[in-house]
Amino acid sequence: GLRRCLISTDMHHIEESFQEIKRAIQAQDTFQNVTILSTSETLQSVKPSDTCCVTKNLLAFYVDRVFKDHREPNPRILRKISSIANAFLYMQRTLRRCQEQRRCHCRQEATNATRIVHDNYDQLEIRSAAVKSLGELDVFLAWIDKHHQDTSA
Amino acid sequence: GAVAILPAPQNLSVHSTNMKHLLIWSPVIIPGETVYYSVEYQGEYESLYTSHVWIPSSWCSLMEEPECDVTDDITATVPYNLRVRATLGSQSSAWSTLTQPFNRNSTILTPPGMELTKDGFHLVIELEDLGPQFEFLVAYWKREAGAKEHVKTVSSGGIPLHLVTMEPGAAYCVKAQTFVKAIGRHSAFSQAECVEVQGEVLPL
Repeated sequence: GLRRCLISTDMHHIEESFQEIKRAIQAQDTFQNVTILSTSETLQSVKPSDTCCVTKNLLAFYVDRVFKDHREPNPRILRKISSIANAFLYMQRTLRRCQEQRRCHCRQEATNATRIVHDNYDQLEIRSAAVKSLGELDVFLAWIDKHHQDTSA
Repeated sequence: GAVAILPAPQNLSVHSTNMKHLLIWSPVIIPGETVYYSVEYQGEYESLYTSHVWIPSSWCSLMEEPECDVTDDITATVPYNLRVRATLGSQSSAWSTLTQPFNRNSTILTPPGMELTKDGFHLVIELEDLGPQFEFLVAYWKREAGAKEHVKTVSSGGIPLHLVTMEPGAAYCVKAQTFVKAIGRHSAFSQAECVEVQGEVLPL
């Protein structure tokens, strides 16, 4: 399960970092009626057996696209985004080790869930899409935390 | 005449103990002048994906001391590049970059300090408060032949904790080590300390 894969990740520190910049980031989001992670359909419908793969795919979404596409002039916010980005990089590496031990299977359902997120991202202009995705980090973090908690309960 | 170029700071190194990371360097000496220093960093993410991005350190912009606590900047267990430059008036030196990236998993973990007290027959331990990233493993045993070692995990320091209710006339020994989940490492055990129910704390 996901807990074994992400055992050494300090999720609390990542959430803390995001909470400190959430208001400032979401204030930059000019498309309030659009969502990228679309909580109701995408993440909530992911089955427990697909959580490791979806986590891996969404970490890659943030690392390869969102953090790169976002431009942040404010050093205080930049530090927090850097903290999250480097923590995601570490999580990717941890999950990759997990996958080598064949505990992170990727089925079609998981791939579909991730493609919806990328499609939503591509609908928007790149900076708007990046800032919206950053603003929805709490959705992704809560989803990871939930699956982290479930498997450890 | 030609304007002397301000030399860049040299001999950068990081001293890291118990997840506190201090970047130090040799001061730039300009007689009769005060030289200021600024520190910037980039995590592995920046060096891989946005290598032009360097981030100003949280606490070290235009400061006088030739050292910088970068603990609040090094927040993930990945390699970090660190650089420093000197400033004098309107003139700034070139950047000096740490030769080897720093990863917090190389921090030195020391055995924790611990204080044993007796409350009647109760043996109470208080461990050194090393911050939220530290957990502790406490081992204790009755000092007699073939005694079984008991182990307790303590999630934070700085709080008195009841360890065991002692038998009259018996002696009990205790040792402890730290564990940092974020880097998956633990310290060596501390020196064991023993206490006798009616006696004083006895060194081993």
